[in-house]
Amino acid sequence: MSAQGDERRRKLLQLASAAVFLAIAGVVVLIVVNANRSSGGDASNLQGAGEVNRALAGLPQNGMLLGDPKAAVTLIEFGDLKCPVCASFSEEIIPAVIDSKVRDGTARIEFRNFTIIDEQSGPAGAAALAAGEQGRGWNFLEIFYRNQGVETAPYADDEFLTAVARAAGVEDIPRWDRERRSARLVGEVKASTDEAPQLGFTGTPSFAVQGPSGKLEPLGTPGSADELESAIDSAG
Amino acid sequence: MKGPAEGTLRSVAVFAATVGVGVATYIAIADSGSGSPVCIGGSEGCRTVAESSYSHLLGVNIAVFGVVGYLLLLGAAMLRGDGARMAGFVIALAGFGYSVFLTYLELFVIDAVCQWCVFSAVLMTVLFAVNAFRMVRYVGTPP
Repeated sequence: MSAQGDERRRKLLQLASAAVFLAIAGVVVLIVVNANRSSGGDASNLQGAGEVNRALAGLPQNGMLLGDPKAAVTLIEFGDLKCPVCASFSEEIIPAVIDSKVRDGTARIEFRNFTIIDEQSGPAGAAALAAGEQGRGWNFLEIFYRNQGVETAPYADDEFLTAVARAAGVEDIPRWDRERRSARLVGEVKASTDEAPQLGFTGTPSFAVQGPSGKLEPLGTPGSADELESAIDSAG
Repeated sequence: MKGPAEGTLRSVAVFAATVGVGVATYIAIADSGSGSPVCIGGSEGCRTVAESSYSHLLGVNIAVFGVVGYLLLLGAAMLRGDGARMAGFVIALAGFGYSVFLTYLELFVIDAVCQWCVFSAVLMTVLFAVNAFRMVRYVGTPP
């Protein structure tokens, strides 16, 4: 190899060495930044409660039903409070459906538990149902979603659930605490979790729509608010 | 330094990158909507990883970035010369580095392992090794 070729090779290898150095530094930075990133699920620092409570103000709630009790169509969501995709839906898709179909009384939305993530999913779901007993189920649900921790982290403990219930505006916390542990609500979580696979659902969130005929029609997981709105229109 | 001929290294890289395009495309398609890749043996790891917040970057499924990366590596493996050698090395280095990060996430943050992601990480490791050897051994030499 000529001297010029040697020089070119030396420079390219130096460049490659610099790239290796940068790559190692990049991976280390990514890991350190991620390790320091808030893992969510912080009971002492709940986010978005005011925004959620304002958005839901004025909408009727009965148990986990949101919207006009006389609405002809019910959109049913089978979800798990610890499911990050459900949280994405609650922030990116459900608000549009609420604005277009729930506020005008065309449809109402019902949340049913389909607990599949881990052993905290059931108690979290029962806690939402207990909040629903006091007309704050959807507030609980939405505030929980906005403060989800890392999916498999055991953040949804009693302290976190209680903080979410308070932020959701549950007035009688001792009653909520009793009811979330009651056989009735724990059984309700189990019943809806058993119901979901019978509708063909394997993951969360999954949706079904129920029109005036009362027949439950599984929708799976539509990818947009438009699809849910069309399903509501068709069912009506 | 002795070792495999550059043509052999390029052939291995073409093969690994082609398989990588297939794997990443499968993950991207299976992960679209609310689906997830199917783990062999019915393990829940693939679903857990697919549903984690780390499966998307800037709103885009990271498997899509994988498809692009493998296609670029395929292109670099098919071309001759120092430009292709350096490009292959840098892209494989970036892919390998990100694979290390994703494996860290699976093991220590998400606490679940997706077999397809592991397979992709192995492919990226092979591609990094092949492209690194190709670059160190052959850069500065005639194509």
